Amino acid sequence: MRSIQPLSINRDFTFALLTVLSILIKQGSDICINKSNNFYLPYKPVILLILFLLSEEKGSAGNLLSEINSTKKEALDFIDRIDQSKENSLWPNIKPKLFYDNLILNLEKPTSFYPGRSTNFCAYGALSYLVMEKDPLGYVKFMNELYDKGEAVFNNNHFKPSSAVMKAAGSLKFKGVLDIRHAEQMWFLVLADKFKGYLNFFDKKFNEGDENSFWAATNLAKFDRMVNKMCGVHVKAVGSDLIKPWVKDPYSYLSKRIDSNIVSLYINNRIIHKKNHDKIKFSIPTHFIILRDISKQDNMVTLRYWDYGGETQVQVSPRTLKKIIFGIITIDK
Amino acid sequence: MIRQLFITLIICLLLATSCSTKIVSTNIYQEQKENLDNIERRYEKLNPSNHFSLAFTDKKFSIVSLEMITDTLTRIYEFNVNEQRLADTLLKYNYDSAGIYYLIRKMQQSKVTWINSFDYYVNDQPQQLIILSLKPVTIRYIFSPPKYVALAYFRTTQFFDEKGRLLDSRRTKQVRKIKGQVFYKITDRICYTITDKYR
Repeated sequence: MRSIQPLSINRDFTFALLTVLSILIKQGSDICINKSNNFYLPYKPVILLILFLLSEEKGSAGNLLSEINSTKKEALDFIDRIDQSKENSLWPNIKPKLFYDNLILNLEKPTSFYPGRSTNFCAYGALSYLVMEKDPLGYVKFMNELYDKGEAVFNNNHFKPSSAVMKAAGSLKFKGVLDIRHAEQMWFLVLADKFKGYLNFFDKKFNEGDENSFWAATNLAKFDRMVNKMCGVHVKAVGSDLIKPWVKDPYSYLSKRIDSNIVSLYINNRIIHKKNHDKIKFSIPTHFIILRDISKQDNMVTLRYWDYGGETQVQVSPRTLKKIIFGIITIDK
Repeated sequence: MIRQLFITLIICLLLATSCSTKIVSTNIYQEQKENLDNIERRYEKLNPSNHFSLAFTDKKFSIVSLEMITDTLTRIYEFNVNEQRLADTLLKYNYDSAGIYYLIRKMQQSKVTWINSFDYYVNDQPQQLIILSLKPVTIRYIFSPPKYVALAYFRTTQFFDEKGRLLDSRRTKQVRKIKGQVFYKITDRICYTITDKYR
């Protein structure tokens, strides 16, 4: 009988890993990470895996800035004083009326942020929710300056989007109500252009349609970093992009934290929002949400969360809850 | 011997993965035109009062995922079609139970896996379209993705290029993609695409 050589085991393992990853990337995912048409050469998944292994998942990120706070009233007063009819050739597709109406809507109804249908903007949507909680005036000032000058600073983060991004803002179509929300289009595109993680390694430069591709994708570490830098708050995260967090009872863990913190979850949305009838599904996270409420009755957990411009309520078993969660991000209120 | 068997197995697997799923019928819409149009009309009638979407999440069309959508909250529930909870839930939230049960039965008969409405914008004005996905009979190989036929029902006449692809508007030659898919003409206001996800 021939003995199995360690090398062959290694090769088999690598082959299996490659196959799984390439299928995984070919299949893409749903709401958050969609497949990119030019993204299925077999070496790319390997490099992504290496980048994932090299990327240090920090448990927590400290306060960068002192407490930032402003009120909705201050922001509305500021916007009242602006000339809202000015056009700007730097942003050829932005319509001033749609832009400023959108800013006012963001202030009046911060939960209305809509990252668009079939885009990879969900992480930026969750971030917007946090920014509006912390600093609505900062958001409006930043957006106005960005529109006027083509560059602006938000909490010491300098944004100077590429000309391709500036051209794309205001021209995104068939994304639902995002089509007519020109400020949100600008905001999401500019955030995706500025913040990069290992998922963006092969697609760093914006091309038409990249809002649906890996250019806009966000991994857990990138999300934590964005929240920390943009909101200047303490962020604590458990979990990762491929391995679920070591939390024995997610329900207890979440319910303990939800009252005193803002809790964001990085979940596999394909389990609660099935897209096909296949029973075997690759277990990867696809979506960022803001958890608003959690309760348990008759061994069923009711989750109420914010994602696409509104709240969603869903009932899952404790087992499914454990299955869908890949990252729990706890943010100071 | 074992080695040869292993290589043969690998070759078979590679061949199997390289084959894509084949849809048996090439004329699904025409074959079921009456039923499908009836489902779309029924949904269009029920939807405006209380917005909802329906999806069958199992292959036997016995588990239905119901999304009840309001401006502020979307409730997602999954029921067995025969469960009393479905009727109770529809009643509780003032949905037309009889109408939705009729729709569910029709969807089961025609193998419609999902129905929903979408908003889109023309000259900054909101428009609506209804999408329904069908689970066709397919020849499927191991590892090949599933295939569904998605039908988009527009309310107004649409524009297509010489290849029958749905265009953004009359004035442009830009192909309009819905959920990343190119749609092809069936009639002036109905088009289809083949996709590996039903929603």
